[in-house]
Amino acid sequence: MPGGSENKIEPSASRIMRSPRSLTLEITARCNLRCRYCYFFNNPAIVYRDLPTDEWLAFFDELGSLGVMNVTLAGGEPFIREDLPSLLEGIVRNRMRFSFLSNGALIGDDIAALLARTGRCEYVQVSVDGSCAEVHDSCRGRGSFDGAIRGIRALQRHRIGVAVRVTIHRNNVHDLENIGRFLLEDLGLSDFGTNAAGYMGSCRGNADDILLNAEERMEAMATLLRLSAKYGGRISAQAGPLTDGRMWLRMEEARAQGKPAFPNGGRLTACGCPTHKISVRADGVIVPCTMLAQIELGRINEDSLAEIWQNSPALNQLRNRHTIPLAGFEFCAGCLYIPYCTGNCPGLAYTLTGQVDHPSPDACLRRFLEGGGAIA
Amino acid sequence: MNPTDRPIANPIIVLREEFDDWAVLFNPDTAYAAGTNPVGVAVWKLIDGRRSLEEIAAKIKISFEGAPEASDKDIVAFVDMLAENGFVGLELEEK
Repeated sequence: MPGGSENKIEPSASRIMRSPRSLTLEITARCNLRCRYCYFFNNPAIVYRDLPTDEWLAFFDELGSLGVMNVTLAGGEPFIREDLPSLLEGIVRNRMRFSFLSNGALIGDDIAALLARTGRCEYVQVSVDGSCAEVHDSCRGRGSFDGAIRGIRALQRHRIGVAVRVTIHRNNVHDLENIGRFLLEDLGLSDFGTNAAGYMGSCRGNADDILLNAEERMEAMATLLRLSAKYGGRISAQAGPLTDGRMWLRMEEARAQGKPAFPNGGRLTACGCPTHKISVRADGVIVPCTMLAQIELGRINEDSLAEIWQNSPALNQLRNRHTIPLAGFEFCAGCLYIPYCTGNCPGLAYTLTGQVDHPSPDACLRRFLEGGGAIA
Repeated sequence: MNPTDRPIANPIIVLREEFDDWAVLFNPDTAYAAGTNPVGVAVWKLIDGRRSLEEIAAKIKISFEGAPEASDKDIVAFVDMLAENGFVGLELEEK
C-alpha cells in the first residue's frame, strides 16, 4: 500500500530528515514592551538588528524549495514589523503555514483580518500572565494587560486560533486560580498553556524578584495540578510547574517502587527539537533554537539551510546529546532519580551552568527537594 | 477513481521527501498531511494529468520489482485517498 500514516508524523531520533519541518523565525529585534523576564532581551549572544524585507522573502523562497511546512514568527514582537503583509505573502506563496508568538498589544481588527484572509494561520500565541491588569502589568508594563486582551478579542472576532501562554513568576503564582477562571470561563478559550520564567535574558538581572522559590514552586505545582483536573485537561505545559509536578510525581513513584528506567531516562534526552525544527535570529543567523542563540550555525541567504541541517557538526552534536549518560556528571552523582531523568532543557542548562551538554539544574528533582521542596 | 482516469496533482500540495525515500504530502491550505512510502512517492510524481491510473500502475510495476498484482488496487485506493483530501483531482474536459 503506498500510503503510510495520515496526520501522524512522528520524527525519528535516529534519522535526520532532509530538511526541517518547521522553523522559528525571530523576524524582529524590536518590541513595544520590556518585560522583566524576557528571554530575548539582554542576551549577550543576540545581535539586535532587523533584516530588510527582501532578505526574509529570499529565505522564504529557500524554505519553500525545501518543503518546510510551518514557520513560527517571533521576536521581539513580530507584529511590530511594518512590512508584515509582504512577509505573509511570501510565506503563503511558498506553500507554508504560520503562527505567531506575541504579546497581543499590537493586534487590532486590521491585523486579525489580514491573518484570516491568508487562510494559513495556525494560531497566535498571546502571553497573559494575570487575571487582571495589576498582576499582568507587574512584569510586563502598564497597559499591557488591556492590550493583550484587546488583541485576543480581535483574533476571536476573526476566528483566528488563540493560544494563550501564562508565564508563572513570583507576582502571579498566587493568582493562578483566577487566571484559569478568567481565561477558560470569561474569555472562553478552549485551553491555555503554562510555563515559568527562566534564568535567561532580562530575567537574569531580576531573578530574585521573578523566579519562584521552592515554596512558591510547590504552590504552583499543586494549584496547576488541581486546576488541570478541574478543567479536564484544558491546561497544558511543556515546561514549568505543571510539567515538573506531573513528571516529578512519576519519578518519585518509580523510585519508591524500584521501577525500571524510563525509556528516555538516564541520558540527556531532552529535547528532541533539533530532529525536526531549527531557528533564525533577527539578524539572520541560523541557530538550533531561540534558547541556544549563542550556537551560530550559519547565515540565511549565505549558507545553505539544507547543508546546515544535514551536516552541521554543532547541530549533530546537539542531536547526539541523547547518548550522554547522566551518571557521568558530578552534578548527578549518587542521585536515585537518574533512571527516570531526561536532563531537561539544554538552553537552561547552558544559561545556568555554561554548558549545553549538562543537565539543567532548574529541573532537577533532587536539587528541588534538597532546597526545601516537597512533592505530594 | 477508475483505472482509466488521468488524475492531476493539486499544485498547492507540498511533497516533503524526508528520509529513505519516505515522504509527507502536505496541504498548506487545510494543514492535512499524509505520510507515504517510496511507492506512494513514485505514484505522486507520475500524477501529471496525462497518465491514466493503469499507466501509472504499469510504470510502478517496472520500477518496483516484485510489486504484487494487488498493487493496482492499492494504487487506486491511494489516489482515491488523495482525491478525498484535495491532493489530486480530474481536469474537466472542454465541450
